[in-house]
Amino acid sequence: MNRRNALRRTALLAGSAVATPTLLSLLQSCKEQKRVDWVPQFLNQDQAVFVSSFVDTILPKTETPGALDVKVDIFMDLMYAKTYDENGRKYVVAEIEKFNTACKEDYGDVFANLSAEDKTAVLKKAEAETAKFNPGVWGTAVGDQKPVAFYRQLKSMALWAYFSSEEVGKNILSYDPIPGEYLGCIPLSDVGNTWSL
Amino acid sequence: MLRYSTLVFFEELLTYAPIKCKPMANFNIDAKQEMTYDAIVIGSGISGGWAAKELCEKGLKTLVLERGRIVEHVKDYPTMSLDPWDMELRGSLTPEQKARHPKGIRSGFIGSTNEHFHANDVENPYTEVKPFMWVRAHQMGGRSLLWGKQCYRWSDLDFEANLKDGHGVDWPIRYKDLAPWYTYVEKFAGISGEALGLPQLPDSHFLPPMELNCVEKHVKERIEKEYNGRNMIIGRVAHLTEPINGRGKCQFRNRCDRGCPYGAYFSSNAVTLPAANATGNLTIRPFSIAQSIMYDEESGKATGVRIIDSESGEFMEYYAKIIFCNASSLSSTQILMNSTSDRFPNGLGNDSGELGHNLMDHTYRVGAMGKVEGFEDQYYKGRRPNGIYIPRYYNLDEQTKTDNFVRGFGFQGSGGRAGWGAGSNQEDFGGDFKDGLMKPGPWEFFITGFAECLPNHENKVTLNKEVLDKWGQPTLSIDAEWGENELAMNRQIRIDAKEMLERAGLKDITDFDNEHEMGYGIHEMGTARMGRDPKTSVLNGNNQVHGAKNVFVTDGACMTSSSCVNPSLTYMALTARAADFAVSELKKNNL
Repeated sequence: MNRRNALRRTALLAGSAVATPTLLSLLQSCKEQKRVDWVPQFLNQDQAVFVSSFVDTILPKTETPGALDVKVDIFMDLMYAKTYDENGRKYVVAEIEKFNTACKEDYGDVFANLSAEDKTAVLKKAEAETAKFNPGVWGTAVGDQKPVAFYRQLKSMALWAYFSSEEVGKNILSYDPIPGEYLGCIPLSDVGNTWSL
Repeated sequence: MLRYSTLVFFEELLTYAPIKCKPMANFNIDAKQEMTYDAIVIGSGISGGWAAKELCEKGLKTLVLERGRIVEHVKDYPTMSLDPWDMELRGSLTPEQKARHPKGIRSGFIGSTNEHFHANDVENPYTEVKPFMWVRAHQMGGRSLLWGKQCYRWSDLDFEANLKDGHGVDWPIRYKDLAPWYTYVEKFAGISGEALGLPQLPDSHFLPPMELNCVEKHVKERIEKEYNGRNMIIGRVAHLTEPINGRGKCQFRNRCDRGCPYGAYFSSNAVTLPAANATGNLTIRPFSIAQSIMYDEESGKATGVRIIDSESGEFMEYYAKIIFCNASSLSSTQILMNSTSDRFPNGLGNDSGELGHNLMDHTYRVGAMGKVEGFEDQYYKGRRPNGIYIPRYYNLDEQTKTDNFVRGFGFQGSGGRAGWGAGSNQEDFGGDFKDGLMKPGPWEFFITGFAECLPNHENKVTLNKEVLDKWGQPTLSIDAEWGENELAMNRQIRIDAKEMLERAGLKDITDFDNEHEMGYGIHEMGTARMGRDPKTSVLNGNNQVHGAKNVFVTDGACMTSSSCVNPSLTYMALTARAADFAVSELKKNNL
């Protein structure tokens, strides 16, 4: 089975499910917020709205697809559902809550409902305040890694989800699954974009 | 796990893989009727595969006991051609998968593309008296499917080290004893590299070297100009850069640890076991945990191997004239410790009391990294499963002698352009940020040192009868830590790494010492050392167990010292040499 088809199927299911009473009432219960058009596996509606809005602000659509076009939010929810343990999930929920609370205190509403300008201000502040990842060698970070706050974890996951998606990895980045040779010095113009694998 | 499309598999195989994967004929799943062989090999990893090949080719009916499952070349590499998006979780582990590897996961190497090649830590517990990461692979091929493939010959600087500085005992062999066997195994395994004539790092029989990229060439020139007697070379690796023996050459996919469909890197599965199988003399029995080696006091020889069938829990006995113990360094020692008798109450061959002692590894993850300015319009093609190597440059002679430590270290590393991952740390986001990450970032370069570890009697493994494995067997307690000499070398590695990168003109240099405990090098060795004197060693100069001459230990357990270079090539050479000796002795009725 092809992952892309699987996602499409999920989206279709979500579309048809909107008509069912349970989900409809669920969606109506958070009436002032944006809603998602897919069925999250782990996040609740509010949290999913946050993640969608966050990744859309970090990686918006330009001439190339945005995070939402390649379903970064759907994939991140899947990661929370299938690769996080209980503690990890609790942490995500608590941190989303904290992030939104800070947005309310500073700007009067949850992140997803802020203006583009206010969203930018929130993320700029988070960028400046959040520790960075140490560089890594062969799978592990070097040196003493300071704790990296949720903002950068989320951003990092969004980047990975975006650039490892089939659309970006195959059609936008330079994709060469079987190079067949190693050439150590070639003009960048021969390749174009960065290698995807 | 979702397979993307079987078409991709076939496409690749038809185009590039010259070998058709023929089923190996003699998987002996039900071997009860045949319990007696000429030779038994315990383990099918790098050294076990070589033992099987050599013994089978010399005409011995050989039984290979493999504790794990069969992994057939190509057929059993389910992830070998998956792109990230072909996998539901794009290579991430589930909590259930992680729970199987509470110890090994520290390595940073386990992902869903290779998790099936890593041993289950829960079923196979061990005790860390002091922190020690023990990475194990329990299937046909063992860690030959997962190894780093760096291959360097030892020199007499290494073989004479113990004698000269008094640490450990003298090696019973010298470079001249092993040199022809290095050549022999290199011709068959296929080692790519560049001949340099360095006395401390003898040249192998080489296939053409892989290429350095622009920045690595630049750094090499600078370092070699700045430092008299320092070299930076392309890594010497067990990858084919030309096809040999029906194996295809490296396609630069860098997906080696999933199994290579071309057979381009050396593994037992792709190289030695098919050769052994082709003789018609090979039988492999999977799910066979070697519990102990049986010893006959009257003849003074081993008679066979007692196994536990890991699926049924049943004990069984197999008999042979000679036994090669290649279960991996610590597991081979564990088997010898389990093999008690009136003659050997403390473990087979343990008259000296050295069995389990002198555990060594290489220090790991001390070095420096930085950025290289310029070369923005240059890039590379291919994912090279190899990096650079800076051979040892201390304590080679009077000129290079230091008072800070004995022995020495080498560096591995590589250069390349930053990818989109660098975006995580950039204080930026939005459309321009995203589109900027489509282009490669600045050139980066790192080196990380590997220091020799002295043999120290206090660094040891012991049998732990309190903690039992899934089959009710005693497990190992590992009690080892770096000594002052290794720590002194790590300090020097950090200083030298930073200085080399500075003098090579790099910017934004970060030096690091992760202070990793032993085991991270995944070069654990020693614990059944070779030596000249049965009173201080477990094995003699032909890898025979003192007091049980028909038992040979030729994996990392046999090592008398550790050198600073990667050890597997030396295990291969020692194994081929010992197998040749064993068969000649057998023919002379000496075994």
